[in-house]
Amino acid sequence: MDFLEISRYGFMIAFFLYCASFIFYVVAVTGKTWKNRDPEQHERKWGRISFVTSSLGLLSHLVYCAARWAYSGHIPVSNMYEFMTFLSMMVMIAFTVIFFIYRKILLGMFALPIAIIIMAYAAVFPREVQPLIPSLRSIWLYIHVTLAATSEAFFAVGFIAALIYLLRTIEFNSTDKSARRQKWWIEFTLFSIIIVVGFIVSVFAFRAAGYEAVYTQNKTTIDSQVQQDSTIDKQGVYHMPPIIAPYESKPVSVPAFLGMDRAWFEAPSWMSGASAARKLNTVIWALITGIVLYLILRLILRRPLGQVLAPAVRGIDPNDADEISYRAIAIGFPIFTLGALVFAMIWAQQAWGRFWGWDPKEVWALITWLYYSVYLHLRLSRGFQGRKASWLAVLGFLVVMFTLVGVNLIIAGLHSYAGTD
Amino acid sequence: MALIENTKCECGHQNRVGTVLCESCGKPLDNSGESQALLEMRYDGVARRSQRVNPNFIDRIWNFFSSVKVAVYLILFTLLGAMLGTIFEQESNFINFDPSTFYKNKYGQIGEIYYKLGLSHTYESWWFVLLLVMIGASLVICSLDRVLPLYKALSKQRIRKHLQFLTRQKVVYQGPIHEGEETDWVERAVKPLRRKRYRVHAEKDALLAEKQRFSRWGPYIIHIGLIVFLLAVLFRGLPGLHLDQHYWFPEGEKTKISGTNLYLENEKFTVEYYSQDEMSEDFRKTGKEVPKMFETKAILYECTANCDDPSKQPQLREVKRHAIQVNDPLSYKGLSAYQFDFDLTPKLRSVQPVLVNKVTGEQYGKFKLEMNNPQQEFKLGPYTLELKNKFLDFSLNEQGQPISKSKDPNAPAFLFLVKGPDIPEEGSQFIYFPKQIDKERFQQDAINEKLGGLQNKLQIDVLGMEDVDFIASSSYLNIRIDRAMPFVWLGLGIVMLGLIMSFYWQHRRIWLRIDDGILTLGAHTTKNWFGMRREVSSFLAAMGIEADEKSLENGGK
Amino acid sequence: MGKARRPVQIIVLLCIVILGAYAINSAVAGRSSDKPVVGGKPPAMKLLGLDGKVHTLDEYKGKALVINFWATWCTYCVNEMPALQKQWEKWRDQGVVVLGINTGEDRMTVTNFTQQLGTDFPIWFDFDNEAVRDYGVVPMPTTFFVDKTGRIASIREGELNLSTLDTQIQQLVQTEG
Repeated sequence: MDFLEISRYGFMIAFFLYCASFIFYVVAVTGKTWKNRDPEQHERKWGRISFVTSSLGLLSHLVYCAARWAYSGHIPVSNMYEFMTFLSMMVMIAFTVIFFIYRKILLGMFALPIAIIIMAYAAVFPREVQPLIPSLRSIWLYIHVTLAATSEAFFAVGFIAALIYLLRTIEFNSTDKSARRQKWWIEFTLFSIIIVVGFIVSVFAFRAAGYEAVYTQNKTTIDSQVQQDSTIDKQGVYHMPPIIAPYESKPVSVPAFLGMDRAWFEAPSWMSGASAARKLNTVIWALITGIVLYLILRLILRRPLGQVLAPAVRGIDPNDADEISYRAIAIGFPIFTLGALVFAMIWAQQAWGRFWGWDPKEVWALITWLYYSVYLHLRLSRGFQGRKASWLAVLGFLVVMFTLVGVNLIIAGLHSYAGTD
Repeated sequence: MALIENTKCECGHQNRVGTVLCESCGKPLDNSGESQALLEMRYDGVARRSQRVNPNFIDRIWNFFSSVKVAVYLILFTLLGAMLGTIFEQESNFINFDPSTFYKNKYGQIGEIYYKLGLSHTYESWWFVLLLVMIGASLVICSLDRVLPLYKALSKQRIRKHLQFLTRQKVVYQGPIHEGEETDWVERAVKPLRRKRYRVHAEKDALLAEKQRFSRWGPYIIHIGLIVFLLAVLFRGLPGLHLDQHYWFPEGEKTKISGTNLYLENEKFTVEYYSQDEMSEDFRKTGKEVPKMFETKAILYECTANCDDPSKQPQLREVKRHAIQVNDPLSYKGLSAYQFDFDLTPKLRSVQPVLVNKVTGEQYGKFKLEMNNPQQEFKLGPYTLELKNKFLDFSLNEQGQPISKSKDPNAPAFLFLVKGPDIPEEGSQFIYFPKQIDKERFQQDAINEKLGGLQNKLQIDVLGMEDVDFIASSSYLNIRIDRAMPFVWLGLGIVMLGLIMSFYWQHRRIWLRIDDGILTLGAHTTKNWFGMRREVSSFLAAMGIEADEKSLENGGK
Repeated sequence: MGKARRPVQIIVLLCIVILGAYAINSAVAGRSSDKPVVGGKPPAMKLLGLDGKVHTLDEYKGKALVINFWATWCTYCVNEMPALQKQWEKWRDQGVVVLGINTGEDRMTVTNFTQQLGTDFPIWFDFDNEAVRDYGVVPMPTTFFVDKTGRIASIREGELNLSTLDTQIQQLVQTEG
């Protein structure tokens, strides 16, 4: 068994342990109200079980990381699969740190699904170990990426605690305007998370089915130097049934899916980029799957998801949740500045000779930084606490995720080192 | 006309307009006196410098920039502006292109609108820079406006504060103390507080314990660092502080770096690819080749004499040797050379052929024929070769005249005037193509037949590959001088210092006073109330008072 | 301190305005790079001439200049050479100098070429392409027309024929003011 295999097992075991510990955390939190139980003893017992399980998962996750590092000779953060896996590991570490400070089991019930979703999302990307291109061969890869991921993990914890605060404080029975609006937004936040799950589910479902459709796209470009038309045939491969075909394309092979044997729409002309139509197609499938998942959940639970979760968080003091959220962001912010901006600048200066080049990834790191500095200013100087601060922290995590994922998928730049389905 | 507020506190202290808590005793000045709401403790309740009664024009500008609300809006606008710039590529990503057609061709109508709005150069637009300047102004003025009053307030704190000041803190404890302990209670409290690293100031029946006050200066240090950073970036572009050029460095040639008296030679350029067994099994299957390293072995020379005289050869002295790789530039006195690109097409530098008498088979000389600045006359045995012309990229134009298509030695040709035995006195012309392929392509013999018929008598030949000198490859380096960089790093260093000070430490204070056997304790921290309550609870426990951490929380609900 | 506040405020605000104006100006100006522009001065150069002497632009102070960047391998440059020579002969008495800057070729190539074509206007060697960089020359030929006050009157990229050259130079001579 070589290191690569060990790392694969490490990944799998960590994933399943996280899933198990998530269930244990749910039992620990919700089981208090079960009959014939001493709530305190129940919480202590199940809290311990779930924390031990999640720590074992983290251990296995660390084994994955170490083994892959040993196999490839470089820290496993060089492509999207490795980075997202690493990020979920950092989320678990940040959770563990915050757990040791505040000892709130409830955090686990929310942190684990986030870690699990990020980890599953990682598995969407190509998994092979790639050799490092020269520009990545630097000590700064280790420092910059690990620190950036660490800070983003703390922001994730800040998001989780803010979400708990909101679930805890929103009055689900009230019908006044503000409560209704908050209920709607909290439901939307949860729905967005389910869309991500929908994306992962649809990718894996079609991958398991081995679906593949092929299109060719004729692109005529006029070469200014020779004044000659040259036609290039570009092939686009879809791994999901095409709803949107590439702009001005011809189908080569489109296997029928549920009787659907051709695309319904064609992408508009401005989406003529190489994979723009395919990405749009993937987004649509993610939305469809997410909506179906959400509707199924609603059918089973017969209540908005926020309302289902609200009783589970009743045991926590909202002020503590607010404090945890703020604390996590306050820990993460200097690390983010150092890792994602200062060290990134030093590296950029060394590799490209300019510390700042307004590359989309750089700009989005700056946007994240500006966003959290707004959060801190509002909190420290303008007394934004509780509800307002929590909404800011929730939105902040969206900014973080866009910087990490959205920029790579939508905007190309120097950092876009990975493609996706 | 604003009403003149009564800002005189009952303790007799005259406070300035805008003061929230009496600068001396800490009594809340919100007039009601009845309120039990938590106190607003930022800047310790002192007035900001700019708060005054009748603001004039300058005051108004000043007040605008000193407002945190304005600062937050400025940051938000910058954030949104920066987002706009990431929608499409920026012009600065390209060298030599026409933005007026590029965006329209690539993105259609939307692209054209994007270009017309000037968003294709968002980060160099006047409004974006103006936002940054305004943020800079806000950093300066906000800090000036707050740091001095805060400093004054913190450096002369009264130990005994107003009772309301204590009971309206976020962490409060109030309760009786055991009889007979009143006298030395305060004295006994000093030790456990000192053990928790507090600096303790005690009076007869009041006490102030304080620690990590320096953390309060963190935000202002961050702001100073940001200002240093912004100024460094601003002055980076001053003439003489900045150079940014790209050069091709053919292997083995010394190339002048314009604007300096330095020359750089690319001694050897190498590209290394990952071998099959360095790749994982999965990756090998994809069949991709991945470069492992680009390296330019570079030598930097400094010119010591004849530097400014193009008619003379400059005198060079080696000053630095470095193997330039991506992530490992050459650095010398503020100049850096970065690996940027390369070209592996070999180029002919020189050949060393011999002259052969075709009849007798005799060989004369080896003579060196450089592609650039060749020697003009060669004496070889009985023959004299006078170089009349050369064409590095030989071709014939429409009139049938020989020309050179480019400056690169792709198909070099040399035209000689040959003199010697059996040749007319005025000499005879002879063309020579060093490359075998060109000899055939351009029919050297046929041309020479027309020129003077020497092809049957003489021949110029390269004997072996050791007589051919190639420029194996060229390396494209980015040469930069950036004299403001140390200040950029200094600014960022200060920012980090300030961040660590303000986020990883907290300014904690505990006030207590004893009135008729009743202990009143109030505590304040800049962040981490959880830790503050734990600390107070453990302090009270050390004093023999049981107080649950949660019970110390004031108000809340 | 109360008294010193007003001057401090004014000084701080003034500094911000000055630095801000500088920042905006250099950002907006920086976009158009530092190539010479019409109305600006031609960058200085110190180059070896075909005559073996070192030359600078100062020698032609008070004269109108036609600075032409060329090379022997550039067909369009070669095509316009006779026109340049004609104009040089026509205008040299009226204080117009045609100046050829050869880009990166060696002495023999250039000497042979000028002899073949019979040109006799001054030609300088830009061996290291320094002038090419300073003048931001991209396509060849590029011609800079400098009036007698030392300002760039126009910049023309590509081949120029006899009549365009003539009108351009005529304008140069007229704008001596």
